[in-house]
Amino acid sequence: MADVALPAAAAPADHWAAMAARSRRRRQWTTIFLYGFLAVASLPVIVPYLWLFTLAFSARGGTDTAVLWRALLVLGPALLAFAMLGHSIDEPRRLRHALLVLLLVTVAALAVVIGPQLHLANWRFLWNPDFSDALKTGPTGVGSQFPNVWVAFGNSLALALAVTAIVVTVSTLAGYYLSRFAFPGRAGFLKSLLVLHAFPAMTLIIPIFFLMHWAGLLDSILGVVLVVCTLELPFAIFIMKGFFDAVPWDIEMSAMTDGASRRQAFLHVVLPQVKFGMLAIGIFAFLRGWEDYVFVRTLLIDKQNWVMSLYLFYVAEDVMGVDYGIVTAVGVLYVLPALVLYTFTQKYLTQMTVGGIKG
Amino acid sequence: MMMPSSSQRRRQQANLVLFLGPALVLLALFFVAPVIVDIAIAFTDMGRNLKPTGFTTENVERMLTGDRRLGGVLATTAIYVLATLLVFNTGFALVLALTTTAMPPRAGAFFRAVWLLPRMSPSVVYALLWGWAISPTPSGLINQFLALFGLPPFDFQNQAPMTLVVVANGFIGASMGMIILTSAIRAIPQHLFHAARVDGAGGLAVVRHVILPAIRWPLSFITVYQALSLLVSFEYIWLITDGGPFYDTTVYSLYVYKRAFENGQYAYGAALALGLVVIGIAAALLLWRFMDMRSLLQRPRIEVH
Repeated sequence: MADVALPAAAAPADHWAAMAARSRRRRQWTTIFLYGFLAVASLPVIVPYLWLFTLAFSARGGTDTAVLWRALLVLGPALLAFAMLGHSIDEPRRLRHALLVLLLVTVAALAVVIGPQLHLANWRFLWNPDFSDALKTGPTGVGSQFPNVWVAFGNSLALALAVTAIVVTVSTLAGYYLSRFAFPGRAGFLKSLLVLHAFPAMTLIIPIFFLMHWAGLLDSILGVVLVVCTLELPFAIFIMKGFFDAVPWDIEMSAMTDGASRRQAFLHVVLPQVKFGMLAIGIFAFLRGWEDYVFVRTLLIDKQNWVMSLYLFYVAEDVMGVDYGIVTAVGVLYVLPALVLYTFTQKYLTQMTVGGIKG
Repeated sequence: MMMPSSSQRRRQQANLVLFLGPALVLLALFFVAPVIVDIAIAFTDMGRNLKPTGFTTENVERMLTGDRRLGGVLATTAIYVLATLLVFNTGFALVLALTTTAMPPRAGAFFRAVWLLPRMSPSVVYALLWGWAISPTPSGLINQFLALFGLPPFDFQNQAPMTLVVVANGFIGASMGMIILTSAIRAIPQHLFHAARVDGAGGLAVVRHVILPAIRWPLSFITVYQALSLLVSFEYIWLITDGGPFYDTTVYSLYVYKRAFENGQYAYGAALALGLVVIGIAAALLLWRFMDMRSLLQRPRIEVH
């Protein structure tokens, strides 16, 4: 081997240096190309969200988007600077300082460029539920008879929280049983659960409508809660079973050797081990309940039962294209809880492997 | 193994009820029962008054021979599912996974978070954003962009409705493939990349000979899973084009929904939905092939209840 390496070692050093430099340059160009490609490809996703947020705080009864473009002119370079700072400074302390300065500059620039245009008039529906002055009352439309926005917000919150509580409780219990207990028909049950997991529940909306009708749960939020919960269950049970499978048997065994019953071992020893799993399925369940549209549209009728998705839908239907101000403000109110929750819990959600696919 | 005593068996049953009972009840009531109800309704004449008067096979006959609209709807569905699946849910998802894993981790995570935004926002909000983007007035996003190049405003909703629903659904669909493929690419042992590089492989050769073979299973899983979910989900089409103009973007699942809830032909809708149920079960069974059954069915090790 050594004599094979000899000619290489004998090669002039500057030749190697040139090769290394060339390869570094190529890597740099590749990275720049990737950044450029992803930035351009992501613009169609980012710009509409920016539109939503800027218009909610700046629109004055029209459809003017000047504020959006000015904000983009500030935020675009700021993001670019952010990426470059992250690359060029390695020391954490200096990086933090540099980022702080960048943040201050960005905020100051935004304040100068769009600050004077901002106002809160589009949010008047929050304190004045009778905001019909802003809505044209069409001959066919739902007109100005909107329920108080807080009723819809409260309904959405109740729906999402109830779905979360039921999904987390039921799937944790079931996941533990499926992971730890042998019972006749276990393999069959797991296999059929797998079919249900892949099975598209949306196809069942017609019979579900009838079941609700016969059970007297039509036009009741409880009905929607039960349906949405059940459709989330197969997925949640599998996730929880996966988390329980990963808990070592030994800790349960030793708890039981120490005299705990099976149920005590579950409650006090195993459950704390799977809290991130419960958190993850809880967040998914909350977002699912919060965003539902098809089932609430089909199963709820009375205005007092409206949730945010219906509220936004009808507000948008009434004034779309005429006055984006109120529509975008309602949109921000609706999307913000989901985005905040998602942003702060993202690291738990993306850690979850979509279990069981062959590697 | 000992024979369980009767008190042990009682305990066993109590545990079954306690742990699995709630899930069993919910799944039976809202997952299994609807399938049976759907089959039953499909063979009645249930109409707007929600009262069936007798059994009939009329709906199935109509579905198989008498619905002139159905052929067009099926063609629309095929175009929609194939285009979205190939271009976005697998194609662009793969591009996103490859590019975001090839750059520094934090930047990659940022771009993935951006592409998850559409999935995390409620459907009505997402549709609202599209409503502005394609607005035929000069203030719409696309028309402002066209105006930069001196082009006249374009009415997507009426002139290119299929492109619109494919892109709108694709932006959402790409993220699931992106997430699964990203973790699949991350799971590839680093030494394979080093070995390929030492052997003189360039970036594209690494993709072709190291990454693609390693993500074959996840990629086929995504293809089947996403084909199924595209086939049955109509939420975004319903919100963005409402199946129009005329029937141009009415896919099968939306057609089923409209027949039942807008025309009041519940029985016919249920019969149409049977088609989806059959496809759904078939695809779900197909997805089994991608699952690691041995770890799923691993036997429990403690027999105490």
